[in-house]
Amino acid sequence: MRVLWRVMVKEFLQIRRDRRMIPVIFVAPVVQIAVFGFAVNTDVTDVPTVLVDQDRSAASRDLLRRFVRSGYFELVGVEERASEVDRWLVTGRAQLGLVIGPGFGAALASGRRAALQVIADGSDAASVNIALGYAGALVRGLGADIQLERLRAAGGLARPGQVELEPRVFYNPDLKSRWFYVPAVLAMVLMVMTMLLSAMGVVREKEIGTMEQLIVTPIRPWQLIVGKLAPFGAIGVIQVFLVTAVTVFGFSVPLRGSFPLLLGLTVLFLLNTLGLGLLVSTLVETQQQAMMAAVFTAMVPMIYLSGLIFPIENMPRVIQLVTYAVPLRYYAEIIRGVFLRGSAIDVLWPEALMLLGMGLFLLAVAALRFRKRLD
Amino acid sequence: MRRLLAVTVKEVRQIRRDPFSLLMLIVLPAFMLVLYGFALNFDVRHVRLAVQDRDRTAASRDLMGAFVHSTYFDLVATPEPGADLPALIERRRARAVLVIPEGFGEGLAAGRTEPVQLLVDGADSTTAATVLGYARALVAEANAELVASTLARRGRRPAVPIAFEPRVLFNPELESTQFLVPGLIGFLLMLTAVLSTALSVVREKERGTMEQLRMAPLRTHELILGKTVPYLGLSLLATLIILVAARLLFGVEIRGPYLDLLVVVLLYLFGALGFGLLISTIAHTQALAFQAGLITSMLPAILLSGFIFQIRMMPAWLQGITYLVPARYFLVILRGIILKGEGLATYWTQVLALALYGFIVVALASTRLARREA
Amino acid sequence: MTDNLAVELRELSKHFGAFKAVDRVSLTVEEGEIFGFLGANGAGKSTTIRMLCGLLRPTSGSARVMGIDVAMEPEEVKRRIGYMSQRFSLYEDLTVAQNLRFFGGVYGLRGAEAREREAWALHMSGLEGKEGRLTGELPGGWKQRLALACAVLHRPRVVFLDEPTSGVDPISRRRFWRLIDEMATEGITVFVTTHYLDEAEHCHRLALIHAGRLVALGTVSELKRVFAGRVVLEVLAPRVSEALEALGAAPWVLETSVFGTRIHVVVHDAEEGRREIEALLAAQGNGPTSVERIVPSLEDVFIHHVEEAEAGAREARR
Repeated sequence: MRVLWRVMVKEFLQIRRDRRMIPVIFVAPVVQIAVFGFAVNTDVTDVPTVLVDQDRSAASRDLLRRFVRSGYFELVGVEERASEVDRWLVTGRAQLGLVIGPGFGAALASGRRAALQVIADGSDAASVNIALGYAGALVRGLGADIQLERLRAAGGLARPGQVELEPRVFYNPDLKSRWFYVPAVLAMVLMVMTMLLSAMGVVREKEIGTMEQLIVTPIRPWQLIVGKLAPFGAIGVIQVFLVTAVTVFGFSVPLRGSFPLLLGLTVLFLLNTLGLGLLVSTLVETQQQAMMAAVFTAMVPMIYLSGLIFPIENMPRVIQLVTYAVPLRYYAEIIRGVFLRGSAIDVLWPEALMLLGMGLFLLAVAALRFRKRLD
Repeated sequence: MRRLLAVTVKEVRQIRRDPFSLLMLIVLPAFMLVLYGFALNFDVRHVRLAVQDRDRTAASRDLMGAFVHSTYFDLVATPEPGADLPALIERRRARAVLVIPEGFGEGLAAGRTEPVQLLVDGADSTTAATVLGYARALVAEANAELVASTLARRGRRPAVPIAFEPRVLFNPELESTQFLVPGLIGFLLMLTAVLSTALSVVREKERGTMEQLRMAPLRTHELILGKTVPYLGLSLLATLIILVAARLLFGVEIRGPYLDLLVVVLLYLFGALGFGLLISTIAHTQALAFQAGLITSMLPAILLSGFIFQIRMMPAWLQGITYLVPARYFLVILRGIILKGEGLATYWTQVLALALYGFIVVALASTRLARREA
Repeated sequence: MTDNLAVELRELSKHFGAFKAVDRVSLTVEEGEIFGFLGANGAGKSTTIRMLCGLLRPTSGSARVMGIDVAMEPEEVKRRIGYMSQRFSLYEDLTVAQNLRFFGGVYGLRGAEAREREAWALHMSGLEGKEGRLTGELPGGWKQRLALACAVLHRPRVVFLDEPTSGVDPISRRRFWRLIDEMATEGITVFVTTHYLDEAEHCHRLALIHAGRLVALGTVSELKRVFAGRVVLEVLAPRVSEALEALGAAPWVLETSVFGTRIHVVVHDAEEGRREIEALLAAQGNGPTSVERIVPSLEDVFIHHVEEAEAGAREARR
């Protein structure tokens, strides 16, 4: 135990002496979550739209009003001809073009079908998909109103029954995408920091030669490992405090669950990130290799396969199976659960168990690889 | 010229001896391309839906059927009346719960407007928004059906008054890959260029060989060129691989002129390599160079360039910062060339911005490097 | 017999692929000896020491330190030995006191004993009053002494030093060796590698290593006896390379080697040798300015053995 304490004290002293560490530990995560938090936003509103209204009837103006009032579309320009719309889309000044032909109002009035063309820039597939969905809904809404009008005009008998959808959105009633992404960024920032610190911390000693002096002593591998990793774990916990504060007070994301629970489950997650960092360090020789390996083979894939940005349910079955091995996947659920759903351990116990198991497994594998020898 | 060649050859030899980093730089793009192409998208399917039908009439079953038989929703539960519905959502058994109240069918038949509730898990707001969109579309269709059948009974044509004809340009199938490939190229080029040049120079500094190089009658611009040319080659190779893979695997075609594409890639790389050099003049250890490079080039290239997240949705101050991110301009031009079939002339403002960025960065790096000589 | 042996190597070998870094080395070291392991860079010294410390696993052969097999129980060995690696490997970003406290703790020292040993270490390395200095800021000589102190905090009976004085100024080197002498008088076995031949003279016994093989073993005087029945003459001539070539070709010359501008020639008889040399060089118009008999130095011994070993290897290849 004393040896373990000695190692931790040494690590702590070294961290404290390293001037560069202070900004890295305290400032970098806060800055990162602040910037990412503001940058990540997949809400689709104010889609820049260019209008070609060759009809200029009350009907066309009504349609336009519905579009603009919805808040989803922003009128950025008006053109005379439909061919002009392409220019707007090509240069990216507009994403959508609304083309109302000359006979629009007349067709509607005479009970014929009116044509409405919407030209979309398909390059940003995701948001255009949603924008078209909104547009379609608006048009259908107008169409339904017109049909009801016609029915009434036809001699108001049997009104058709209509279904009205009453959505009740739990946890995020305004569907602010920030509430979804900022906690995710919290998880990512934590993972990156602790993994890099642990991987580089061990490899640095290998590189500068102090590792040799250390392994020639009677120190036991577990003492060395725990002693080196524990301070980084502590740093991780400090960072949880910091980034949670930014999330809650800076972005007004609610923390509906218990913070102590969040801390406890984060520690389980840190077992995994530290274990992975250690594993990487046993596989490489230089700090540069450690960085590259950690970032490219662990972090980037984990971020994409964790369900933090891209839903796991949309992935092919094979890849979904792979995600079961990604610790970040479970932590992502925990983060969302604790922040937004106010979940407690009775709901999150499967994730907690997985993190515990995987974390211990990773640490064990890394520890076994960690030989007190040079070859 | 010979000196330049010597430096270049040395650099190439060193690169070849570090297969690890090389592997990383090739494996990552390949992996991400495959991932993006096959696994990552925002299209939502198989949403877990629970339906509580308190009415049990033909009408309610029709509505339920409309939801369940669509490709969007998978039926996972049919809870009894009185079941704890919010718990279903909290325990993640279902993402959405459709509740059809008693008297639904009767009300519809009588010409009333009947409400149905849709409980949605909002924790994943993106998916939730899409789910709501689907639900609204399904309900609208159901309503249109009701109107049509009433009209039909009255002997009237059940025509939809407005034909909604969306025409999608450039990417008619709305495949995410088309959108993501240019962004991927921008990100990867930035990464390879910045990291490799920054690290290669700093590595020499750390090892002390930089001093040795300085002693040789080598001029600054020869040093710069000799060090960056191999990485230029590598980056171009990586770009080629991505484009070919995207074509073969996902059918992404380059619709614009190839020459313009080459020019803009070279221009972008010019700036990226210069930025890497600039970092190398500031950082003294590889660790610092890597982290600085990562934070100042890679992250903006992903987050602030319009790669995934739209710039116009960001707060004004952040949008201002994006003007300093070269990837922002690069993506506009690249998407224009690849997807829209345009040439460089259409985007001359962006081209100018890239050129300006490149010159400033390279000038800064050169002055810093030259200052060391005096 | 084996009980007194501090270190025992039997046909110890280490191969890295096809490269034989250490090739069937056998030797013994008695308790309390200062044992020198001499050889050029890359000869296999560090590899051997690392095997003895349990840092590398031998490819074949065996080694025992204080009776414990290094391959079977490396951890037991580590508890009982001290090691100073070739690169300075204390923590440069810790103070002197922090380094001492750390290594003391790792070796299991506690309480009063720890404090006492730390004080001793400070005194021994001359760093009293400088406990708060950052280790990285110390001059080279101080660092080495501190590293030695850290290696012996736990009073090991056997100490392995790998090129402990490389890059250190001559005065500090002398101070360092005085410390080694003191340790030896206390009965501690010191196994030291070096390529400084003047330091080698300091050791009780020496082993000469070349290309991974043991080429000579014995006390300093035993080694110098290889020149028994022979004489070493030191020749100074105006044109050194010409003289060297001519002398090397002469049949009555046993060996030649050059040190700067001085040529060492090994012959059977001093007087006869001198006459022959003067004659030969005068014929060249390269009249030597001096031909003196010298006491063969360890360097001469070393070069003799290395050349013999290389000649042997050339023979074997044919």
